[in-house]
Amino acid sequence: MIKREMAHDSTETDDELLFRLRRGDEAAFVALYRRRQGAIYRFAMHMSGSATAAEDITQEVFLALLRQECGYDPERGTLSGYLFGIARKLVLRNLERGRADVALESQADDAALPELAVIDDPLIDLTRREGIEALRRAVMALPRRYREVVLLCDLEELDYADAAVVLGCPIGTVRSRMHRARALLFEKLNQDRNPRLVAGPWKPMRVAI
Amino acid sequence: MTCVEFWNRLPEGSLEASLGSGHLAECAACATRWDRQQSLAAGLRLVSAGMRGEVAPPRVEAGLLAAFRSQEGFKRHRASSYSWWPPVLTWAAAAAATAVLAVVLLHGSHPVPASIAPVSAPHRIAAPAVESADVVDEDSYGPDSDFIPVPNAARIEPNEDVNLVRVEVPRSAMMALGIVVTAENASDTVLADVVLGSDGMARAVRLVSNSDGSPLEEE
Repeated sequence: MIKREMAHDSTETDDELLFRLRRGDEAAFVALYRRRQGAIYRFAMHMSGSATAAEDITQEVFLALLRQECGYDPERGTLSGYLFGIARKLVLRNLERGRADVALESQADDAALPELAVIDDPLIDLTRREGIEALRRAVMALPRRYREVVLLCDLEELDYADAAVVLGCPIGTVRSRMHRARALLFEKLNQDRNPRLVAGPWKPMRVAI
Repeated sequence: MTCVEFWNRLPEGSLEASLGSGHLAECAACATRWDRQQSLAAGLRLVSAGMRGEVAPPRVEAGLLAAFRSQEGFKRHRASSYSWWPPVLTWAAAAAATAVLAVVLLHGSHPVPASIAPVSAPHRIAAPAVESADVVDEDSYGPDSDFIPVPNAARIEPNEDVNLVRVEVPRSAMMALGIVVTAENASDTVLADVVLGSDGMARAVRLVSNSDGSPLEEE
């Protein structure tokens, strides 16, 4: 017996698969799920900090596709962007509930940070395994609003327009957040490499005069 | 071209020769910054490649397939029903259901809810409908029994009125209880005894067998 999956061309677009899915084609659902689940799962996991939450969110995202009134509009963006958008909302809801094990937020979210002073360039390490791991840690330590743009645009390769739809903000905001995120990444990598040169955030203190 | 113009014109951080390589040749600061951006982008690509193996576990796909199949079955059933049921039969069925409900309420018995609370995570999948609410022996429920408390459910109070029903539920809904669920058998059903609290919510579950009577295989 020929499996129905075989009948689906891997070059079919997401929208074509969605069209078949709407007509009850299980193989189209499976193909679409297998094509997109990894990115959604990774995004959810790295945003929530919890594999369990990521599992739940991935399931919820694709369940939304099964609903007739799922709200996807091809005129507004790609299906991939739509799925990331649902995942993001679920992540935020999850974070609000405080269920996820997240230690990634930082009070430096909006704080003005000093310009980078590169003493010993950490970027030369980025081709080595430790360098890549350090960069990965740095990404995960970014404040949420910067982490999500890096995850979407740099790691999952969404273009800025799609990311803007996902985040519900203008494309210029995506661009500026990316710029800021990269500056923070440079800084974090510098901190890791030159720990004694790093000054902590400015804090008020009482001094005797 | 000024530095600001150079950075503003870059489409999503990529550099096309025609767009501003001339500026990089003239401006050492931008050239340095550009090299650093490129190094970071290359590092992020390596991070991305290293993360590609992180995917949702197979049970997520199994659960979704079960939901898809149950939804499709529901759609087909509904479509075929509507095609030949005249409206008068619909009204008759509604009247009969109302009469049954009234009798149940007047006699003060404990109504069996139309659905049970799902067990843990699979609640996102289609809620398991009670296929056959055969009331079973309530004495078999107790602390030494093989009932498994439903996670996050309220405790049963000492004098609480409970109902015990045997139901047929999707196998995927029993995943949290250690039942093996694969893509192939996710839409199968299993028999389970469910303890319902006075609020109609499931408090504990005991697995009985596959719906065809064969014993259950556990993880």
